[in-house]
Amino acid sequence: MEFLGIWIAAFLTLCIYSFLYRDNPFYRFAEHLLVGMSVGYIIILTIYFGLIPYAWDPIQKAVTGEASRWGFLTLIPICIGLLFFTRLSTRHAWLIRYPIAILMGVTSGIMIPNALQTDIFAQVQGTLNPFSVIGTLSSFEIFGAILIVIGVICTLTYFFFSVEHRGPIAGISKVGITFLMIGFGSAFGNTVMGRVALLIQRVDFLINDWIGTIF
Amino acid sequence: MKQQVPLVLCFLFGIVMILTEFSPHAASQATYKEIANWGRVISPFVLALAVITLIQTHWARIQRRTEHWQYSVVVFFGMILMVVVGTPLVIVGSPFGPQHPAFQWLFNNVQVPMDATMFSLLAFFIASAAYRAFRARTFEATLLLVTAVIVMLGNVPIGDIIWGDTASNARQWILDNPNLSARRGIILGISLGAISQSIRIILGIERSYLGGGD
Amino acid sequence: MFEKLMNIDRRIVFTLVALVVIIPMLAPFSIPLTVAEPTQNLYDYIDALPPGSTIMISFDYGPSSFVEPEPMAEAVMKHCFDKEVNVIGITLEIQAVPLADKVMQRVAVEKGAVYGEDYVLLGYRPGDTFVILGMGAEIASVFDSDYLEKPITEIPMLQNITNYDQISLLLVLAAGSTVEDWITYGHTKFDLQIAAGVTGVIVSQMYPYLQTKQLIGLMPGFRGAAEYEKLIDAFGSGTKGINTASLVHLLVIGLVVIGNIAFFVQRRREE
Repeated sequence: MEFLGIWIAAFLTLCIYSFLYRDNPFYRFAEHLLVGMSVGYIIILTIYFGLIPYAWDPIQKAVTGEASRWGFLTLIPICIGLLFFTRLSTRHAWLIRYPIAILMGVTSGIMIPNALQTDIFAQVQGTLNPFSVIGTLSSFEIFGAILIVIGVICTLTYFFFSVEHRGPIAGISKVGITFLMIGFGSAFGNTVMGRVALLIQRVDFLINDWIGTIF
Repeated sequence: MKQQVPLVLCFLFGIVMILTEFSPHAASQATYKEIANWGRVISPFVLALAVITLIQTHWARIQRRTEHWQYSVVVFFGMILMVVVGTPLVIVGSPFGPQHPAFQWLFNNVQVPMDATMFSLLAFFIASAAYRAFRARTFEATLLLVTAVIVMLGNVPIGDIIWGDTASNARQWILDNPNLSARRGIILGISLGAISQSIRIILGIERSYLGGGD
Repeated sequence: MFEKLMNIDRRIVFTLVALVVIIPMLAPFSIPLTVAEPTQNLYDYIDALPPGSTIMISFDYGPSSFVEPEPMAEAVMKHCFDKEVNVIGITLEIQAVPLADKVMQRVAVEKGAVYGEDYVLLGYRPGDTFVILGMGAEIASVFDSDYLEKPITEIPMLQNITNYDQISLLLVLAAGSTVEDWITYGHTKFDLQIAAGVTGVIVSQMYPYLQTKQLIGLMPGFRGAAEYEKLIDAFGSGTKGINTASLVHLLVIGLVVIGNIAFFVQRRREE
């Protein structure tokens, strides 16, 4: 089975790489097979690791007395969840607004206090903290700390669209662009590493695992 | 009914989650926990709807015999294969299931190689794009290009052979300072936007998520 | 000549890329690597954990991105088993479960770790944010059984573990936005100590959290995996990969330089 697995994997790998020459039926076959298998996989895992433990088990346990009768409370979110499927009927599609509204309310309510702390307070604190220990920093580190403050202010100014970017604001937002470009440049540099990693793994598979079965 | 009730529900659930977040009282924490649990129960239904929508799309392509409809048959073949192998048909005594070696074999030998290869194609395109489009036309473009080159060189050990410790150190300094400040600016901007949008959603000012109609 | 160079067929570039990956595979070489501070911090933190501690690894990657996080998982788990630190595996990414299962079993066999005593894989549950919040209150409320559907009450290493209070570190191995989710809901709300190992694509956006100590350590992409392998003195796919990647990086840099030379020469001629 291992031998067969390697050959199937190699065939499909080559089908996809054939796209580098030009679009062709082999590539399209592999592409669609991948979509189909991913959907099948998601169906199975959603049922097994989502619907059964979250929805089925609590109700079943409440019915059999294995768990307390409070388990029947799960019927409420199950009904809310089932309302998503009203989307499939043109007449009742408006009912999908109920579960969406509830999810929006819950996620917004959870998000506001935690995001304030994580992404606003902690980040502002992190920007200013180095100045509280400035005596212990080297001149190069102080330069870095000042640079971070300037960068954060200028980048934020660039994204501040409530005022027209003219005069000093235009100058500040231009500096913001400079920082953003460095940020995007570093992201590009790191992205190359990520994409190359995948390629190396696939070539490694073809050379060492697949060709290894031939010779 | 169609507009007002969802808005009221959104407001109630949003406010309850915010208030219970700050109250250490046992009842308050139990409410928070229960509603978070509801969120978990609802999540798989969202996934299920997404899957059904995708199935509908491909089914329609087959029915209408649109261009390349044959590939939608391949989609169904792959999907049915995984579902059949992944479903333990207890009634007929089939031992298959998501933890079964057959399901894992299909995942490891068919799905993983295809998915990984698909994304590895980007390595080729990124190299080609770097050659064709990565031009130092303006000051900003030059800055982006120079930063990318330094980070690329610093990311791999050969950079240290060519440029000594400078490659690693320059990369680390860029990531720790100018990159950090740009990213922090983006985080602050996105978070402020997301928080204000969330407040607007809870208060019913932002209603676009309800779609059109009455 | 420069005009020809600028209009070169993209398939020639593709061939060059393929060659610089294939050649080092046939003639492998090794280049010494320096370890950066974020990886060192993660290593030091795990190294200082007392035997019997428990860390949680969230395998939040899929087949399209497993190449970088997988050697990180291997290296960290090897370190943990050597230090007698227990490992709980979970995932918020639906496609990660079989991948996590495979890597955990592989390392366990190599290190002689016992399932249920030294490590366990709880598996996947949908609803990222709600899963993180639920486990903060009680892990059993989210995972009442492990990946193999064994009740967690029957798993020895989980007997004294109720929630994040008993977890010394959460390591997120991610390719998407789950690091931010873990920080927002795991660290901020429950004070869970978090470190990350991420794919190259999202490395840059981690640094603000690193400076604020919301992340205590970071393994950045393939390089991070290779750095951790160096720290535990184990040669793995991270080290092998980063050496091969060296040549591809040089090629990309070379292509950028040549492309720009051709561009400027042609522009000067046109002027």
